[in-house]
Amino acid sequence: MNIEIHEALTQIKQKGLYTLKKWLSVLLLVSLTASLLAACGSAKSETAGGAEGSEGKSGSKKVVAWAWDPSFNGAALKIAEELYKKDHPDFQLEVVDMAKTDLEQKLNTNLAAGVKDGLPDIILVNDPNIQKYVTAYPNTFADFTDKVDYSQFSPYKVDALRIDDKIYGVPFDIGVTGMFYRTDYLEQAGFKAEDLENITWDRYIEIGKEVKEKTGKYMSTINPNDEALTSILLQSGGSWYITPDNKGNFVDNPVMAETLRVYKAISDSGIAKPVTGWSEFVGSFNSGDVATVVSGVWQVASIMDAKDQSGKWGVAPIPRLNVEGAVNASNEGGSSWFVLEGSANKDLAIDFLAKTIGGSSEFYERFLKENGGVGSYIPAFSSEAYGQESEFFGGQAIYKDFTEWSKQVPGISLGTYTQEAKDALKNELPNILNGADLKDSLFNIQRLFEQQVQ
Amino acid sequence: MKKASALGVHLFLMIVSAISLFPFLWMLIGMTNSSSDIVKGKFSFGSMLSENITKLLDMTTLGTAFWNSALIAVVGTLFTLILSSMAGYGFEIYRSRGKDRLFGLLMLSMMMPFAAVMIPLFRMFSRMGLLNSPTAVILPTITTAFMIFFFMQNTKSFPRELLQAGRVDGLNEWRLFTRVYMPTMKPTYAAAAIITFMNNWNNFLWPLIALQTQEKKTLPLIVSSLASSYNPDYGIIMVAIVVTTLPTVAIFFLLQKQFVQGMLGSVK
Amino acid sequence: MGSKSTKSTFMGWQFVLLPSAIIVLFSFYPMIQSLILSFQSGKGNVTSFIGLNNYARLFSDPMFKQALFNTLLYLVVQVPIMLFLGLVIAYFLNMPKLRFKGFYRTAIFLPCVTSLVSYAVLFKSIFAVDGILNKMLMSIHLIDGPIAWLMDPVWARVVIIAAITWRWTGYNMIFYLSAMQNIDPSVYEAASIDGASKTRQFFSITVPMLKPIILFTAIISTNGTLQLFDEVVNITNGGPGNATMTISQYIYNLSFVYTPNFGYAATVSYAIVIMVAVLAFFQLKVGGEKK
Repeated sequence: MNIEIHEALTQIKQKGLYTLKKWLSVLLLVSLTASLLAACGSAKSETAGGAEGSEGKSGSKKVVAWAWDPSFNGAALKIAEELYKKDHPDFQLEVVDMAKTDLEQKLNTNLAAGVKDGLPDIILVNDPNIQKYVTAYPNTFADFTDKVDYSQFSPYKVDALRIDDKIYGVPFDIGVTGMFYRTDYLEQAGFKAEDLENITWDRYIEIGKEVKEKTGKYMSTINPNDEALTSILLQSGGSWYITPDNKGNFVDNPVMAETLRVYKAISDSGIAKPVTGWSEFVGSFNSGDVATVVSGVWQVASIMDAKDQSGKWGVAPIPRLNVEGAVNASNEGGSSWFVLEGSANKDLAIDFLAKTIGGSSEFYERFLKENGGVGSYIPAFSSEAYGQESEFFGGQAIYKDFTEWSKQVPGISLGTYTQEAKDALKNELPNILNGADLKDSLFNIQRLFEQQVQ
Repeated sequence: MKKASALGVHLFLMIVSAISLFPFLWMLIGMTNSSSDIVKGKFSFGSMLSENITKLLDMTTLGTAFWNSALIAVVGTLFTLILSSMAGYGFEIYRSRGKDRLFGLLMLSMMMPFAAVMIPLFRMFSRMGLLNSPTAVILPTITTAFMIFFFMQNTKSFPRELLQAGRVDGLNEWRLFTRVYMPTMKPTYAAAAIITFMNNWNNFLWPLIALQTQEKKTLPLIVSSLASSYNPDYGIIMVAIVVTTLPTVAIFFLLQKQFVQGMLGSVK
Repeated sequence: MGSKSTKSTFMGWQFVLLPSAIIVLFSFYPMIQSLILSFQSGKGNVTSFIGLNNYARLFSDPMFKQALFNTLLYLVVQVPIMLFLGLVIAYFLNMPKLRFKGFYRTAIFLPCVTSLVSYAVLFKSIFAVDGILNKMLMSIHLIDGPIAWLMDPVWARVVIIAAITWRWTGYNMIFYLSAMQNIDPSVYEAASIDGASKTRQFFSITVPMLKPIILFTAIISTNGTLQLFDEVVNITNGGPGNATMTISQYIYNLSFVYTPNFGYAATVSYAIVIMVAVLAFFQLKVGGEKK
């Protein structure tokens, strides 16, 4: 036994020593190079960081911005940069792209850690998050109240930015909603464009049943795990998940009750194709499975992806809820640009945004033409770009229509706890769809919400 | 071994392999199709491959990101292997009550969800002036309780007689570790290398927070931002996914021989 | 002899000190900070000290209870299935005469190299209502119409469990395979000569010899499952309702999706730490760490 082990050991030592030497030298080499590189990297970033703190940044006039879609909001910044450079030739902008959820997480971590050197000068904020950020991190975002002429923007968009008489940030894109529809399917079912104007949701369901019967196509999609439709319905009735003073808005809210009634009616009627994610949702209309899509104006790009469907689409106002004050217009999504109060280039960043996205018709015309983005800057609405007719939509001047509808969108306060309220609703939604008593369900949602925001 | 049971084993392994590989086949097919075809569930190869690749290269800083990812993963893995095996060896071979207690304590560190320690960690790296560098990404991963535990458990079956014999031969404790333990435990090192490389390569949350500028980004960050656009192009995303997946597969191919050939073939 | 063992104890410390110090610095220091945080509550940076109230809140928090239930369900159902499957596969792949080993091994390991985004894109599309799985099941007449997998609370949980099993079985298999190299093949040969069946050899040789590694995988899988996050966020995002939401996702939501309450998020994190620690302690006890 002992001898065997001894032999084995010698073997290992010989073989091992050889391989080990080889191994170790490679290892040493690689880690040396690597740590050298790493050290270079950190040294570089240190000098860069140091320069940022002192004269370097204000001298070089380099503004850093975080955005989440290089072909949309990132591209918008590039347009703004070009415009601003005409008068400020030494202006420099760096856009850092990341996923929207990643951006939010990074922002929260930086702000919570109180670390300034990692933050950009300009940041894109999703509208429902505005109040949340401003109240959770006081004195963090720059006040824009006198920097931009807000009377030139759609009021509902400005309302979202106003907190305690101060206005934070520059309104950017909007998600004014429309009902995209397949003209061919609806025609086949016996409906004309006029039949879709200013209808109620109950009428929509009736039409949907006809369409389903005559063409075999679904009227729309439904995804119980996504709050897009309920949000659209609520805002079209001038209401929201929470009240302006951040209380749950479920019990004794006629708009909420009607929203959920309509939602369940659509689900029960069988006119909606169930989908479980974004790609399925997009796929349903790209492959011609549904006759209508109720969505924000930014959906135009995805709809136009199916080039074979050119000329077969139209857009009508969305249907309306059967409650007082409800309109045929709403909004889905949208974002605004904020400047960080602690930024070394605060004034430059504010000036840049105010002169471009905050007050240039040319910016919005180019943003629409180049990226299909629609803003809420009213002077741009009468421009040629907004009036152009779209061949894909059968010659309809869709952007003119969308901007017209955007003026009717009810202004609401998005409050601080929108996401908590949406999740509370989502928790109960399966029960509602299974036929639970709506009053009880609303009571449960309200209770869950209050539990969450204590 | 009976023919029938061998057939059964093959059948079982084939089914498991098919289930495992199916999503990869789908990914490879997707890489050659347009976004709308992918969404429609087209299950045959298309002709969009070169277009998807060109678009991806145009849209992103893929090369830089690849290099950043590789640097972080390779350096991180090397350090982890050395430091974690040292500790695993120390904790198991020289067991003592004090070390057992320390080890138990270290284990707690892997039980904490990362999201909860991220903010203090971020603050710490900011104070150290290391943010936005590969060092910041590598440092917290260079020893993990998880890998120490792995080496410790594997060391339990390490034949200690070899150490005694080595001592008789006059090797000191460090040499025993580098000349006897390390070569003997090659299969363990190989498995640890694969797992660690993979974890570092796919690491997402911490690089996202610690890296700040575009040119420092790693591959997963690029893929994540591609997938979240308003109008995502799945063809391009599929190419990016394949690019992200390939190196881990390569490492696996490179190292798998090490842990399946058997380590003590010479000791009978 | 006595002096020698003290010396070797001392020698041992030089192997463990540096790695331990690194973990203390990068893990324990932040953990203590977050412990302090767990006694505070508020929005973002507007916080106040509230003592143990966050811990009291846990017991009356319906979302936490739901997340806890879901997480424990995954733990109890998924971990045993995955570990057993991994062990059996590793055992087969370690059989000396098996052909195509390399292919099987690679194929079964591959799922765990996918990153979270890839995972999400792949699984969501496979389990879509019009997805390839429904198409296949319909073509062999196993089902009449498509199943909306991710919309039904039961199916959604099944999908999550299937996804984790898909991704992590090969991972555990690697640990087993590498550990099996330490088993002397002659042990099996001797057993074969004695007439022990393969099944018997598996349970009476392989399993006992691999005990330390099985224990290891059991503990890391328990830990991994209690921290389950990426899979759920990317495939179902916690839905339908909150039927698949995990504790880790809840922590993430409290910090980054809802109005940030880092204090309460830290409290929920400590709930995970305590649970894993207790479970790991029992696993070590049952797994018999006696010498």
